[in-house]
Amino acid sequence: MKKGLKFDFTLIAILLIPIGVAINVVISQLVQVLRIPLYLDAIGTMLVAMIAGPWVGLVTGGLTNVIKSIFSPTELPFAIVSMVIGLTVGYFSIKKMFTSVGKTIIAGVILTFIVIIVSTPISVILFGGSTGDSSSAVRAIFLASGQGIWKSVFSSNLLIESIDKILSLLITYTIVKKMSDRYLSKHNYGQNFLDS
Amino acid sequence: MKEKSNNLLLDLYPSTKFLITLFIIITVFIVKGYLYGYLMVPLCLLLALYAKVFKELLGLLIKTLLVLITFIFLIQSFFYPGDTILWSWSFLSLRQEGIDFSLLLTSRIGAIGSALLLFFRITSVKDIVYSLEQLGLPSKVTYVVLSTLTIIPEMKKLSMTIMDAQKTRGVETEGNLRVRAKAFLPTLTPLILTSVASTEERAITLEARAFTAPVKKTSLYRIEKTKKDTVVRILLLLLLIVIIVWRVAL
Repeated sequence: MKKGLKFDFTLIAILLIPIGVAINVVISQLVQVLRIPLYLDAIGTMLVAMIAGPWVGLVTGGLTNVIKSIFSPTELPFAIVSMVIGLTVGYFSIKKMFTSVGKTIIAGVILTFIVIIVSTPISVILFGGSTGDSSSAVRAIFLASGQGIWKSVFSSNLLIESIDKILSLLITYTIVKKMSDRYLSKHNYGQNFLDS
Repeated sequence: MKEKSNNLLLDLYPSTKFLITLFIIITVFIVKGYLYGYLMVPLCLLLALYAKVFKELLGLLIKTLLVLITFIFLIQSFFYPGDTILWSWSFLSLRQEGIDFSLLLTSRIGAIGSALLLFFRITSVKDIVYSLEQLGLPSKVTYVVLSTLTIIPEMKKLSMTIMDAQKTRGVETEGNLRVRAKAFLPTLTPLILTSVASTEERAITLEARAFTAPVKKTSLYRIEKTKKDTVVRILLLLLLIVIIVWRVAL
């Protein structure tokens, strides 16, 4: 099977994009219904990136934030973060990082750092370090302890994102493992998850 | 053909509507001071009133921007570096620099946020992707965007059904955090696996309708540019030039 930007967008991969975006949106509501104090809103992006590759993952992440911004425009700048998540997870999938739980956790740690490096400048420069959700309270604590705005945003992100991203990757990994071999083999990067 | 609503704003071509939003976004950065940015919020509300989407826009503005702006004021006015202390209590001190900075920042966020929200209220996504397709975007993109919008409510319904089904099997969805977290995976796994499996059927259906055939596709839906679009575009360009000249001259 040929791989790369030109070949990754097969019909079945294209049809997976809306599903990935919908999973992202529905999970962020499910998390609110069950009152779980995490975002977990990139599971769809990660899922698509794992089995359909980095470029399809990138599109899924970007589209998620564009759709969300119809109702909350502050999500729009963070499209870059979602796109980076899709790209990174897809790349890890090519490098066979999702073959065991231990490797998945390592991938989660690396992903956390990449996400923070991308998202911290966006939230500091565009929004002065506030996001209007629970993490703002954590940030205020760091700020009150006398740290600068960059350091506070970075530390509070590290605290929340590391739990969030590692857990998201583990959930996605378990679900992909449960997919049928017949379905996985239709995707360009599905064979890494076969014969488990 | 799209039906005319006889409302000047709603009948504009999607890209003209976007130019209005873009105009607000650009000028907010050109004009100095926070007053102009704050003026854009009531302006967007006025336009919304004309396009009969006032209530929707106001609700979304309060829901998404008000909390954020309050947080910015709280964090910046107390923690922005500066020397002019207005009021202080133990380790907290209110600074003039922080207030100035948050006024500027929030005026920009308010203006850009309300301009974008207004754009999405007066332009349907169908129209946006149609005009993008006219600009040369492949029709597959149109399909992806539009099907996403129909799949989201479907999947929401499905998730509620699955949650109810799991409840009858004894999975608890209320209680302390551990109990609630335990309900997460049993709801999520069937939801994702069912939706992902449906892509296979959809692929066959689309293939049977020549979705990937390498020919030019025609559309039943059409929107046309009118003279009004040209007038609005010229007006926006003139206004932009006036603002730039005025800003350079001062």
